[in-house]
Amino acid sequence: MSFKRIWGVFLRYYYYFSKLDNLAEVFYWPTIDIFLWGMTSVWIQRSESGIPDIAIIILTALVFWQILWRSNYEITVNILQEFWTRNFVNLFSTPLKLSEWMCSVMLVGFSKIWITLGFSALLIWLLFALNIFEIGWAILPYIAMMSLSGWVVGFLSGGVMVYFGQRMQMLAWMAPFLFAPFSAVFYPVSALPPWGQAIGWCLPTTYVFEGMRSILSGGPFSMHYFLMSFLLNMLFLGGVLFFFTRMFQKSRQKGLSRLE
Amino acid sequence: MSILSVRDLHKTYLGKKPFKAVQGISFDLNEGEILGLLGPNGAGKTTTIQMLMSTLTPTKGDIFYFGKDFLKHRSEILQYVTFASTYVSLPWSLTIEQNLDVYGRLFCQSPKDFGKRCDLLLERFGILSKKRSRISELSSGQITRLMLVKAFMIGPKIVLLDEPTASLDPDIAHDVIQFILEQREKEKVSILFTSHNMAEVSEVCDRVLFLRKGKIYADDLPQNLAKRAAQSRIELIIAEGMEKALNVAKKLNMEAIADHRCLKLKLDEAQIASFLSSLADAKVNYSGIEIIQPTLEDFFLKAAGASDEL
Repeated sequence: MSFKRIWGVFLRYYYYFSKLDNLAEVFYWPTIDIFLWGMTSVWIQRSESGIPDIAIIILTALVFWQILWRSNYEITVNILQEFWTRNFVNLFSTPLKLSEWMCSVMLVGFSKIWITLGFSALLIWLLFALNIFEIGWAILPYIAMMSLSGWVVGFLSGGVMVYFGQRMQMLAWMAPFLFAPFSAVFYPVSALPPWGQAIGWCLPTTYVFEGMRSILSGGPFSMHYFLMSFLLNMLFLGGVLFFFTRMFQKSRQKGLSRLE
Repeated sequence: MSILSVRDLHKTYLGKKPFKAVQGISFDLNEGEILGLLGPNGAGKTTTIQMLMSTLTPTKGDIFYFGKDFLKHRSEILQYVTFASTYVSLPWSLTIEQNLDVYGRLFCQSPKDFGKRCDLLLERFGILSKKRSRISELSSGQITRLMLVKAFMIGPKIVLLDEPTASLDPDIAHDVIQFILEQREKEKVSILFTSHNMAEVSEVCDRVLFLRKGKIYADDLPQNLAKRAAQSRIELIIAEGMEKALNVAKKLNMEAIADHRCLKLKLDEAQIASFLSSLADAKVNYSGIEIIQPTLEDFFLKAAGASDEL
């Protein structure tokens, strides 16, 4: 692998990111989400729900979900960008290897989650006087787990898109939400029906949200939850990286130019 | 010396009705050679080019660049092979400068290496002043020229050009052709060239491969292909002696048509001198003469509609 080529692709997506229209998109949705969920959770807390930390729990969960969303988005939407701008053939007729492109989009996603995290934390503090870093150092491993899960979802839907092309582009936005109900983002996994709980405990994201809620409710950092999330992420990531590579090879057999 | 060898290349698109797009083609591209790839729509030109730049996997056959197997050394080989086409573009929201910066880095070159060369090429193609413009602000002709800058900026050894002058005004297309010829002369760049402009192919290509139904139908010099397809034509303005002229043509077994004062004939190039000599002997006076040579377009039209053997 060549670091120069990885850096080249990284720059390609950062040049795109630096345009005003794209910057607005990066900040617009988190702002709307935080405002809506923040107001809702403050209202629930004031109505004496019996859960004293409901506002911080929901808003921290929201930020974690945005991290997964951002990691997924940087893979899927960057694939679509190449289709839409008829640049896919340009990229893969150069010495660029698929593994280098994959590394680049993972790095782009990982770098942008800090922008998302910083911006969201600041906004939550300004609007609701709540500190999502209350969770302490545990935020770091949880962010890493959510980023890994975002890559899993991203390469899963990306693999479908590189084979079927633009007719599957809705996956870029839809796929993460397929996992959201079972990940118990805003409610405990016990709120799900038994079959839903069974699915939920197979997802790495569920362990992060459960662990986060446990800490914010005064419990300790759960090494069990963290390790389960890590192992499941590694297992799924290995599978989807293989799937994405195979789908790309299959797509190349049909011709990459048909995707543009 | 051959720097690209294609051997028994096949591509079959699978599906309910499998389609054999390329059926066992073999050819070589030599150093500094400009090889034209011609053929009607569906002949297999684009499929072949796509396989040569690795965006399409062959069903069977081998591609060797610089003596190395393309399948095994793809990334290493593509360091010296570039591509330009009218039918691809670049990210619209990035500027010319940003796009070329990214592209140069994909070839492991630093901006120091390719920056000066980029500026020279942008100036040569008249788009240096647009360097900081977004691609979305450029005309289709300017994007086509930018694709050429992209193809030549890294100092390639082989360039695959898919209709590089489509969408260009004639004066700019002429300049592009001159540039391609210069690159061959100065840098010894080898070029695989497709175009629908037959005059352009005749001017620029050293050799032409004509594809038809996925097979190589002809492989020859452009002028030889033209001669294989059609006879020369002569048009004479007869001042005096049209009857005598028709008799001369009849004696020499030539097909002639009299159209008012104009005599039109089809004949082989070698027969022209003897025909004119016979007209002089028969005391035929003519006030004007036009000799029309067969062109590559004649060959294209004939070959596109012909049976499998020429």
